[in-house]
Amino acid sequence: MDKKLGAYICGGCSIAESIDVDALVQIARTEYKVPVCRTHPFLCGPEGLATIRGDLANHAVDALVLAACSPRAKTDAFVFDPSVVLERVNLREQVVWSHKQRDEDTQMLAEDALRMSLAKVGKVEPLEPAPGEISTTVLIVGGGLTGLTAAAEAAEAGYDAVLVEKEERLGGHLADVRRVPPVRAPFTAARSSDLPQRIERVTENPNVNVFTSTNIVRTQGQPGMFDVTLQTGDERSTHRVGAIVAATGWKPYDTAKLGYLGYGLSPNVVTNLEFEKIAAAERWTRPSDGKPLSRVLFIQCAGSRDPNHLPYCSTICCTEALKQVQYLHESCPETEVYVVYRDMVTPGLYERYYRTVQDHPAAFFVKGDVSQVRRDSTGDVRVTLDHTLFGETAELVVDLVVLATGMVPNSTDGQVLNLPQEASSAQAASQVAEAEKKNGTSGAHDATGILNLAYRQGLELPLLRDGFPDSNFVCFPYETLRTGIYAAGAARAPMDAASAEEDARGAVMKAIQCIEFARRGQAVHPRAGDMSYPSFFLQRCTQCKRCTVECPFGALDEDEKGTPKLNPNRCRRCGICMGACPERIISFKNYSVEIIASIIKAVEVPEEDEEKPRILLFMCENDAYPALDAAGLARLQYDPAVRVIPVRCLGSVNVVWIADALSRGIDGVMLLGCKHGDDYQCHFAKGSELATRRLENVKETLSRLQLEPERIEVGQVAMEDYTKLPAMIDGFMARIREIGPNPYKGF
Amino acid sequence: MAEPLLVNPDRQFIQDVLRNGAEDVKKCYQCATCTSACPLSTEEYGFPRKQMLLAQWGLKDQLLEDPSPWLCFYCGDCSKRCPRKANPGETMMALRRYLTSQYDWTGLSRLMYRSAFWELGILAVVAGVIVALFTLPHNFGFGLLDRSGPAALSTVMLDRFAPVGIVDWGDKILALLLGFLLLSNAARMFLKLTRGRNIPAHLYINEFHRLVVQGLTQKRWNACASNETVKNWLRHVFLVSGYATMFILVVLFLPWFQVENSSIHWTSFLGYYATAVLLATTAWILFDRIRKNTEMHRFSHFSDWLFPILLFLAAFTGILLHILRVLNQPMPTYVIYVVHLAIVVPMLVVEVPFGKWGHLLYRPLAIYVAAVRSKARELAAQTEGVAVASEAVASS
Repeated sequence: MDKKLGAYICGGCSIAESIDVDALVQIARTEYKVPVCRTHPFLCGPEGLATIRGDLANHAVDALVLAACSPRAKTDAFVFDPSVVLERVNLREQVVWSHKQRDEDTQMLAEDALRMSLAKVGKVEPLEPAPGEISTTVLIVGGGLTGLTAAAEAAEAGYDAVLVEKEERLGGHLADVRRVPPVRAPFTAARSSDLPQRIERVTENPNVNVFTSTNIVRTQGQPGMFDVTLQTGDERSTHRVGAIVAATGWKPYDTAKLGYLGYGLSPNVVTNLEFEKIAAAERWTRPSDGKPLSRVLFIQCAGSRDPNHLPYCSTICCTEALKQVQYLHESCPETEVYVVYRDMVTPGLYERYYRTVQDHPAAFFVKGDVSQVRRDSTGDVRVTLDHTLFGETAELVVDLVVLATGMVPNSTDGQVLNLPQEASSAQAASQVAEAEKKNGTSGAHDATGILNLAYRQGLELPLLRDGFPDSNFVCFPYETLRTGIYAAGAARAPMDAASAEEDARGAVMKAIQCIEFARRGQAVHPRAGDMSYPSFFLQRCTQCKRCTVECPFGALDEDEKGTPKLNPNRCRRCGICMGACPERIISFKNYSVEIIASIIKAVEVPEEDEEKPRILLFMCENDAYPALDAAGLARLQYDPAVRVIPVRCLGSVNVVWIADALSRGIDGVMLLGCKHGDDYQCHFAKGSELATRRLENVKETLSRLQLEPERIEVGQVAMEDYTKLPAMIDGFMARIREIGPNPYKGF
Repeated sequence: MAEPLLVNPDRQFIQDVLRNGAEDVKKCYQCATCTSACPLSTEEYGFPRKQMLLAQWGLKDQLLEDPSPWLCFYCGDCSKRCPRKANPGETMMALRRYLTSQYDWTGLSRLMYRSAFWELGILAVVAGVIVALFTLPHNFGFGLLDRSGPAALSTVMLDRFAPVGIVDWGDKILALLLGFLLLSNAARMFLKLTRGRNIPAHLYINEFHRLVVQGLTQKRWNACASNETVKNWLRHVFLVSGYATMFILVVLFLPWFQVENSSIHWTSFLGYYATAVLLATTAWILFDRIRKNTEMHRFSHFSDWLFPILLFLAAFTGILLHILRVLNQPMPTYVIYVVHLAIVVPMLVVEVPFGKWGHLLYRPLAIYVAAVRSKARELAAQTEGVAVASEAVASS
């Protein structure tokens, strides 16, 4: 398709003073034969915009190259019809603000930047949304506090909800607790959980379809078009839903592992959940012999914050213990209650609750580690404490010990593989086998039988740190590695009732967003609104399965031969499949191996004797590229030999680009992306990690080609690292100068 | 390994400490901001954090063996920085009140610290005895104006009214009696601090200088970091100097101090100094307690008011007596003489062995014993080190 190209060069924000704008015009006109090429001293002003809009209205142009500020700036001014191909050249932040004025190298940088954009825009094709009939129903999995809140919120926001609960009754753990900690001033007394009203809010709403005693047999499809098969007794029903909120809740830490704190030693050692039952029955006596309770000990962090048990803090056990101390003191004010903690964790204003409970004359708190729990013949439990703040080892003799057990997400494990129990399970069984094979690499597991996803990568939500499915709590809470399925409540992270309610609202908002984006054929966060999606030139596919294995979001399924099959609405448009494909058959209309290759080709590489090295920077659009803009904004200076190519994710970098660059005589290639590892910041979870791994292989190849592997580097940059970025670039530049020019120059 | 501490909260003890001024002790959550802020706190005596916990848990025995409350001079930095407003500084003060009452074996101190009624009652009884001595017939030969004769009503004849020889004997006996009570309490304190600790005797001699130096100068106070430290310390040093001057004049030099005629003697100048210092410092302290603008004086237990008030009144009636004598006003002189004694004697009887006055001995004693205990610990660690080393040598 031939485009009518228009190039507009802005002279504002000191661009015209710093570089020769007319020389840029010449390049556009002569080298790229751009029919319409204009300069303006203030392109984002009304007059400048009117010029562009005029040319568009006259059909003089239908594709724009705006050489002005960063594509991240003035996004409110440079708004055009979506059918217009728009490309922006970052002259302001990454050329004139970060390099010497009126300098030969700065001029070359500006010229190359223009060439790269002009080359790109020639290859880009206009976008069309992915087609599909979209359901606006939200499926809520789990009928506890989070699920109930989510269902009510979704329905009240105008979206139908289907609520699935595996138990007979709604309410989850909330039905088992007598009261919940206070959330309103003065934060001094526990409150009612209001469970009947909460259940009523859901069951009375005609837009919520509640299924109790129901399991999910199968979930297939993609956001906007999930088909979920439910089984209630012998009855099956299939529902089409747009998005899923996984409010699958938690269970207490396995008591079988609490022998070290005396659990099982005596009936007088109970867990906090068991104590709720004692409190509900108001049975203030010793379980072993019915003696009234005169001394009760609460042991905090029972099996938590311990490398041998749960490594994390569940954040609620301390507040729950306070509540239970209060139960006791309300009914038996003379009972002495001791709390042994490692750190009292009372987030936010629960601190006030802590003060209130602590103020009781018979409430005693001390920091210490329990080293021994023994039972003596009278039924007393003797507890030895080490490292106490008394300054010595201490012993307490008590009637009852209450262990504060932590929260384990229900999604985390499961001993029995709950296969879809249909007779025609051949297909499902193959999926299970496939999932098992994949277990190690994708963090998927297959035994809980909650969602039973018909996905190539496994039946359930992949687990990340500490066994929770939350994908990246820093930037995108609720998101899992399965697009359109949002974790909420204690299934996402250990939390209290008040936070779970809030979580439910947040996750429903994400689900609604997902449905609305799917309706418009657009991607969800982090490329929200993106209409591009990958297409596969399957004639050349070798069924190597790298794309289907490496997609962090399980967007690709496979047919029996292993040919990838895209579910566009599951796709986050990161391009990791494109970076993975050795056959280079995966492309987006505006982002492909070919497009980037032509950008690389547009870079002018000076001859060796000019002593002007060139390095290519592939920069992640999410953090690294904005960080370079921020460096420019702060007027930090760096070497003008760099040529920057923004990429959707480092994972989308196809190694062929590096080969292209080096074979053209470019002296070095640097990839800058997000932090990976346990606390990853990669917006696509695994992209930067995959890129690093792939580059190791490339380096080996380079050695074989007699090229120094040091010509390629991968760096990790977060937005706040922008001050360090110039030093990173200059450091790499210095190393490249030391290595010397690329011997392939001029070939 | 040592036997573990069997934790058994003494609820009565907690109530007593709370009532003695530690109302906020339950608020403490053991962050140790107080101990970090305190320049006097050491690893071995990590106060006030640990004392807060011991008080919360009612671990009375641990506290009775602990010199820490006396190692604190109450600059108040801990209370200022406490994020929970648990007032560790005042808790230490409350513990000192409590400990004072515990060192006393007669039980009077406990009564007086628990109830202002008892304290005022005992003061009143002693004052009544003094007044009675001067007003009732057949009373050891003094006070009887009729026997003093009419001449005593026209000119001041104090020696007739209150023969200095008898008064001198009286105050020496009182000094011995109160001294005995105080020393016996201090001995109880000493035993509690040292019992079962296996301290080599020579350390008691090596460190003895601390008792004397700290008793005389309160030097340690200056290690406090608060802005008010130097002011408070100087004020206290002046107060002590005035008090000591007066004490020496009365106990050792009464025949030269209590003079007959309207003349001014050499002792008068010392008396002026002492009076001026006592009036000024006690008034200043009371003023601070009323304004509550320093941490040290923000909270005032009943006993904190009583001591400076009595001291002020003693000095005030003392100088009034002097003026009236010099102006040769017989009857007012006699009346004020009785009033003066009816303030001074009860004050000493109540405060020296049973009250706040005792800190004059308890504090330096605690500093001394704390130093002895530290040295003993170091010594033990050394010998243990030597033993380990020699064992290592032997095994190699």
